[in-house]
Amino acid sequence: MSPTSLTLYAYQVGFGDCFLLRFNYPGEVRRHVLIDFGSMGMPKGVAQGQRLLAIAEDIKAKCAGKLDAVVATHRHADHISGFATNRAGTASGDVIRTLAPELVLQPWTEQLELAEDASAPEQPGLRGARSMAQTLKSMNALASAVVTLLDQGRHGLSEDLASRLGFIGEDNISNASAVKNLASMGKRNAFAFFGSADALAELLPGVRTHILGPPTVEQSASIRKQRSRDPAEFWHLHRQLLDAQVNSPNDDPGPFADYPATRGSKLPMSTRWIARRVREARGEQLLQIVTALDKQMNNTSLILLFEVAGKKLLFPGDAQIENWSYALSHPEIRELLADVDLYKVGHHGSLNATPKSLWGGFRKRGKAGTAQRLTSVLSTMPGKHGNPGAGTEVPRRPLLEALGKESELHSTDGLEPGVLYEELEFSF
Amino acid sequence: MVVKANSQTFTILAQDPAVRNAHGELLFARVSVPLETLGLGPTGYRLKVVDFDASRNQLYHAHAYQQDAASGCMIDPFDPPGEALLGNPAFHCQHVYAVVMRTLARFEMALGRRVGWGFDGHQLHVVPHAFVEANAFYSRADRALMFGYFKGLDGQHVFTCLSHDIVAHEATHAILDGLRGGFMNASGPDQAAFHEGFADVVALLSVFSLREIIEFALTNGGRIELTVQGDRRLLNGDQLSQQNLAESLLFGIGEEFGQQLEGLRANALRRSVMLPPSADYLRDEQFAEAHNRGEIFAAAMLRSMLALWVARLGELGNFGDNLYNLREVVEEGAKAADQLLTIAIRALDYCPPLDLEFGDYLAALLTVDAQVAPDDSRYDYRLIIRTTFEAFGIVPPAARTDADGCWHGFADNGQVQYRNSHFDSMLRDDEEVFRFLWENRAVLGIDERAYTEVVSVRPSIRLGTDGLLLRESVCEYIMKANIFGAELKSVCNISPRPAWIKTTDALTVYGAGTLIFDQYGRIKYHVQRPLNDGQWQLRRLSYLAGLDSSELDLRNPLAQLHRQRAWQVGPLREEQA
Repeated sequence: MSPTSLTLYAYQVGFGDCFLLRFNYPGEVRRHVLIDFGSMGMPKGVAQGQRLLAIAEDIKAKCAGKLDAVVATHRHADHISGFATNRAGTASGDVIRTLAPELVLQPWTEQLELAEDASAPEQPGLRGARSMAQTLKSMNALASAVVTLLDQGRHGLSEDLASRLGFIGEDNISNASAVKNLASMGKRNAFAFFGSADALAELLPGVRTHILGPPTVEQSASIRKQRSRDPAEFWHLHRQLLDAQVNSPNDDPGPFADYPATRGSKLPMSTRWIARRVREARGEQLLQIVTALDKQMNNTSLILLFEVAGKKLLFPGDAQIENWSYALSHPEIRELLADVDLYKVGHHGSLNATPKSLWGGFRKRGKAGTAQRLTSVLSTMPGKHGNPGAGTEVPRRPLLEALGKESELHSTDGLEPGVLYEELEFSF
Repeated sequence: MVVKANSQTFTILAQDPAVRNAHGELLFARVSVPLETLGLGPTGYRLKVVDFDASRNQLYHAHAYQQDAASGCMIDPFDPPGEALLGNPAFHCQHVYAVVMRTLARFEMALGRRVGWGFDGHQLHVVPHAFVEANAFYSRADRALMFGYFKGLDGQHVFTCLSHDIVAHEATHAILDGLRGGFMNASGPDQAAFHEGFADVVALLSVFSLREIIEFALTNGGRIELTVQGDRRLLNGDQLSQQNLAESLLFGIGEEFGQQLEGLRANALRRSVMLPPSADYLRDEQFAEAHNRGEIFAAAMLRSMLALWVARLGELGNFGDNLYNLREVVEEGAKAADQLLTIAIRALDYCPPLDLEFGDYLAALLTVDAQVAPDDSRYDYRLIIRTTFEAFGIVPPAARTDADGCWHGFADNGQVQYRNSHFDSMLRDDEEVFRFLWENRAVLGIDERAYTEVVSVRPSIRLGTDGLLLRESVCEYIMKANIFGAELKSVCNISPRPAWIKTTDALTVYGAGTLIFDQYGRIKYHVQRPLNDGQWQLRRLSYLAGLDSSELDLRNPLAQLHRQRAWQVGPLREEQA
């Protein structure tokens, strides 16, 4: 049995991702896969909680109360916040939970027991997984320390810097409720990495799902130009540094407890200019750290390629170049990707998530009117992430132009605020 | 009051708080810095130390320095020093002030002129406890050196501002930026690496010119037994091989500055001494990152210093049984470090203004030394330096240098029009020099389609071999051209055009040159980066194309670079050590 068509619902979640894939089989048989459900900011006039709940109810209706699989590409809030539950059991995540997915598919980095239990056995092929899981835990903690710090005041940071810092910080905070829900809502959990077995095979007959990322620690080490040291140590140190700042200055006497000092609000004239610069520089230091952290988190994204009757649908989450590098280092994978028909644009249209070697390799790119032209689907909202001055704005303008010119581009950004989703149909 | 001295002395921590002698005592040194009347901070004519901590949002009170009525010098409040100074922020301020001033004074002495900063303004801010961060950096935009501090894994505070190496390294970034602003731009692989490697070299050579440190290293802080004859302390000659000296410098200076600092440059700096020579590093992808690549350069320089030291020791007499006078050994080491540092700094004047490659710097170094000491026969300095660099794969560019690896002298003086230039103005006036350049653009290879700018004109005065003052002037110019990919052949001589550059791509390409004018105002050397050097232009563009553009436009590029280093294990070093 093979599906005859796919209906794709691209939900309007502002800055975030939420895609419902409906595989239509002969005889009215349908299989539903939900890929990500999260948001870090809705369009003006849309209340986030209400919108997420409305989407959850819509998903419930579309799949008639039963999801076959849930895919959470990585743990960023803009991809999983919709899975969060509340005590009353009335949140969007509670609704999804009632849809009792057969399988919850996540990247290998999400095996919770690895972070919780330092003595959990290492799995063959996943050496370094525990250290990675602990790294992610440290990164979540660091992000929440940054947010706490900003909650205490702007600390002399410019508004722009504080808001950029706050956004990345929030996105990287561990969403405990969503994480827990994902871990327990499915009948089965699977954790995938480049080349791991097709966990969706039984659920989606006639569909072959290739897992192209993330690579394992060993896989990515095999193509790395420079050996990097154990990142767990780096993040552990920085987490400690930040923790110390969040808890100070009241509890911690600091390095020179009894030494006379002047408060920052009463600085003598000769020191005010540089003091302002030092505050800004400190903010930039934090921004650099959380940006590195954000990137590393994006690079734990699952990259899924669905293959049905010769048609190919690519869902790379927020994978950036470092994650893609391993897959793209294989000529046969580049060949496999060359005739992709549908491309879910990586990381809401950021530059580094659509590597040139990937985009350039798509053969079905072409001008409007080209037969069998590539379709691209983008879920994004401008003005939330990055900085046009530095060429890091999301979505990135030159990429948007290329997408619009060389593919059939569908962006949630173009939807009216009141519209819940865009529906796309592909026949096989 | 008659001022008797032009310098004053201050107590500093000679290396860092981890260096302790056999009795567990800290190693302090007293260093000379230019005489000046200090304001609060201390604030002097070149530095403004501000002890503001952004993480705690407070300013530590500065010490008010008093003047000694008899000598006119400022009174060092921390002499005699002791353990308690580690917890005194005012001492930290004095330490950074003295180390940065000493580093600056070292440059000025070598160049025979005042050296400005790389920003508009005269005073560089130094913030010794800027924030809680395992990082320290120079920021041109903030006109500042900022040093972080943090609680180490053992719960003790680690102050990056207390490491002599780190402070001298960051100070060198600031000074180098003042001398060659173009070196901070993103360019070929060697340039950023040079900034790092050179800062390391200055940090190390200036610490090895402290006799306290060399003696400490050779005796391992008093842990090695010496033979005593009268009032001479004698050292076994077996210790004085190049390898043993390298190990003394590496291990003799005690534990590194806390395990917590691994990743910050303090350790890597010393490790570069142990990088065994190999010509393969430069082609090795593992050495592509700026700090790793900089270590190749630092290793070549430090090995040269050791070889020079060994050569000088060969001339020393011994006291029977292969025993050497410790004081003389220390003296020769300090001299070798000091002499190499002097020519290392002077060589900057003989470098192209942008896209420096290691080979260019070597040619500049050899050229400078040949001028200062034409007769190289006593210690074979130049031969030693050249051989050592060659072992690391660094050779002078063959087409532009002579058999000794020195720059070719300027050969076309016959065609140069000197008729309209005023000698005196040529020594300092940008406009006069530009007029000269423009008049002679054809013979100097200056493309009139590009926009050319004189970026500096500087006098350089030093003692010639005849004992008379030698006055030269150094001028840098840069050409900038905005071209399309289609013009790569006609402007840059790149043919064929690489496939990744489209004919319609807009590119900015550069050319540049350094002109050295002799005491008669005639061109002595013309160190060029011609706009139409196709091979070089292609090398540079290919390298830049491979960079992630989002990382180029940061306010503090060095801060990012220094943190990136924290991610890196020294390439292959464990296996090789």
